Amino acid sequence: MANFVFRRLLLAIPTIWFIASAIFILSKLMPGAFGSAYLAQQEAGYYSRSDAASRDHSYRQFLKITGQDLPLFYFSVTSAALPDTLHRVFPERDRAFLKKLSWQYGDPEAATLFFRSLKTFEASLSESERQKVQEHLIRIYSHKDAAELQQATTGIATQLSATRLSHSQMLENSERLLSQSQGYTYLLPSLQWHGTQSQYHRWLSGLLQGSLGTSLRDGRPVATVLGEAIGNTWWLLLVSMLFATLLAMELAILMVRRSGRIWRSTFLPSLFLLDSVPLFVLAMLLLVLLANPAFLQLFPVYGMGYYNSFDQSWVAQLSQWLQFMALPMLCLVLANLPYLTNQFYQALAAVAGQDYIRTARAKGLSEHRVIRRHMLRNALLPVITLLSDFLPALVAGAVIIETIFAIPGVGRLLIDAVLARDYPVIMGIVVKVAIFRLLSHLLSDLLYALADPRIRSHAA
Amino acid sequence: MKNLWHIARALWQTTPAFRLALLYLVLLAAVALALPWLPLAYGPNELDLEQIYQAPFGWNTETDKSQHWLGTDGLGRDVLSNVLYGARTAFAISLPVMTLASLIGLTLGAMAGLYGNRRLYLSRALVAALLFALLPFAYYGLYLPTLLFSQGADYADFFLTGIAAVIFSLLVVVTLTPLFKRLTFLHKKTPFPTDELLLRLIEVQTSIPRLVLILVLAAIVPPTLLALSILLVLTFWTGTARLARAEMLRIRELPFFEAATSLGYTQRRLLFRHALPHLLGPVLVAFSFGLAGLLMLESTLSFLNIGVSTDLVSWGRMIAGIRTNTAAWWLVAIPGAILSLTVLALQTVSYYVLRSLQYKK
Repeated sequence: MANFVFRRLLLAIPTIWFIASAIFILSKLMPGAFGSAYLAQQEAGYYSRSDAASRDHSYRQFLKITGQDLPLFYFSVTSAALPDTLHRVFPERDRAFLKKLSWQYGDPEAATLFFRSLKTFEASLSESERQKVQEHLIRIYSHKDAAELQQATTGIATQLSATRLSHSQMLENSERLLSQSQGYTYLLPSLQWHGTQSQYHRWLSGLLQGSLGTSLRDGRPVATVLGEAIGNTWWLLLVSMLFATLLAMELAILMVRRSGRIWRSTFLPSLFLLDSVPLFVLAMLLLVLLANPAFLQLFPVYGMGYYNSFDQSWVAQLSQWLQFMALPMLCLVLANLPYLTNQFYQALAAVAGQDYIRTARAKGLSEHRVIRRHMLRNALLPVITLLSDFLPALVAGAVIIETIFAIPGVGRLLIDAVLARDYPVIMGIVVKVAIFRLLSHLLSDLLYALADPRIRSHAA
Repeated sequence: MKNLWHIARALWQTTPAFRLALLYLVLLAAVALALPWLPLAYGPNELDLEQIYQAPFGWNTETDKSQHWLGTDGLGRDVLSNVLYGARTAFAISLPVMTLASLIGLTLGAMAGLYGNRRLYLSRALVAALLFALLPFAYYGLYLPTLLFSQGADYADFFLTGIAAVIFSLLVVVTLTPLFKRLTFLHKKTPFPTDELLLRLIEVQTSIPRLVLILVLAAIVPPTLLALSILLVLTFWTGTARLARAEMLRIRELPFFEAATSLGYTQRRLLFRHALPHLLGPVLVAFSFGLAGLLMLESTLSFLNIGVSTDLVSWGRMIAGIRTNTAAWWLVAIPGAILSLTVLALQTVSYYVLRSLQYKK
């Protein structure tokens, strides 16, 4: 048995590594990092007096602290037409401009030089001078071909005095860029080695040491954020799973009895009907019907009601918790009932025709005893694997239910993190879910062995 | 195909539930197709801010505007036209996605089932050379075109990189294969573990629940319809692949297939003439079951407002409108009922077809 568990673990670790790495790298390759929207949005508001430069500075610091200014992987293969230091250029708008420049003229060095001198030139401008050349600057940033760039730079040269321009060297650099432009540099690849100073290395070594990183939104460790949320989800899942399983088993037993014909003809179609209602529609329907002053206000609607739980006994706390959790649990139980009941029923019905059941009946055992003692144990076997396969569906259900009922759990955390592009939290959840799935597989293997002595002796 | 047609006709004559479900689906499809010519008073994204949260069937005589038969939501959008156009969107997303996913699943699953782990012999040298050829292909065939696309290049540049991709990859294969063949380890021909590879791939993908995977990926890619469809295809092909593999394994053991194999037919002929017609039935059933799942998933995503833009007309968006006003029951009841009925009809049809397929065996 131990051997089997060990093999399973050995196979699962590369799987988790592969999935997590793929998502990590994909998330970094796409444009739109966390916080870049914040830079673009906040033009000096009433409360934030900060100007563009200081915001830019604080954003750079944020990137440096979170390690986002490092190159992505151990090595990178880029086109030779792009500068090596592109990943260090922030904000993303400037990065895109530099990329466009060097792509267009096919000379990364000249493009970088021109870009830097343009930046220093811009920084050295006074307000009145900036007014004068604003139009030309905009044209430089949005120019399409070399002639347009030429026009814009000569425009700036005529507007400002010669001494002003001499120490920024922008004009020389632009001429160099224009003269050295060449077409097909981009066809050559260029390979750079970054070594361990890469985002992926940092993330992976952190993960191996058990650290999931810090949330980009509030700077707290991801483990803490997850730990706060996981309790609610865990109890929600566990209790509704238990209820759903027990209920499904009892229903299946009712249906498999010899006198259960009437149950079969009522339950099976209605469960089929229930199965075609999506979870979120079911949840919204129950919410509208049972937690709504317009119809029936049986349950509180949203959240967990934390505000007065400090000075209560545990009984009062539990009853309050149950009040808030009852409706979400009901939703999850109802949504998962059809599938579970069907599987239990199929398993029981398959066993019902066996010889030993006929023998048990012939011995004169009661129907109750035949089903509970003789059928159930044998029928349990296929259902156990099913339960472990079923856990991921429950997790997906928890995402929807927690969002609708505003329960502060992992599912809601995931939605919030997705909307804010808080990648460390997303990665943390993905790793946790994968581990959860792995554990459930292991658990089902162990239970399988527990339920069937043949497997136990075979594995040992 | 002919077989399926017979099954459908027999079911139509004997089973009222099947007839009802099929009629409903055909009707819905017809309405969704004919929508631009239907006399609807309001467009699906048309705001009517004077009449928000109108209950359905409420007779208002104050305004001279036309009636909102099924009420309006918080921005005065007409529920009736949203429900009808929502059906259009739902099928416009789920039909192509499921078709593509089924094709991918069928191809991979049938290959894995047919070749197994030790039937497809490849020379190690060729495989190694192909792996090396992937590098130039990835650079010229994938990386450069995406860069070119983002920089808005001409067609000539795309053409150039395409040619470069083909030439360089071919060059690598042609030069490396003879070189590798000189090495003793790479000289042998070994079975290619097709089946094992597919099973591992499926295992990796299903180790994360589908909804969670889609949510995570939706955070990364931009919220466009194309990106969402690609995501859905990438997560939905596994079910069909598993089924096609299992069916293929079963078919391979049947007497007629063994006879065809012993007659010395090519693998291609075995696959297309002898295996595929038998695979089609189960795969079609899986297709319509998958369609139902896809409808649910699509509306769940637009309900959560993740991965889709907010101006996409859909049932999920309409249902999400109730979260700002829980008294507006019609916002969940009407689109929810249509969604559930569609799913129910699809599941009923596939259930009966599946049952008669199994019965025939």
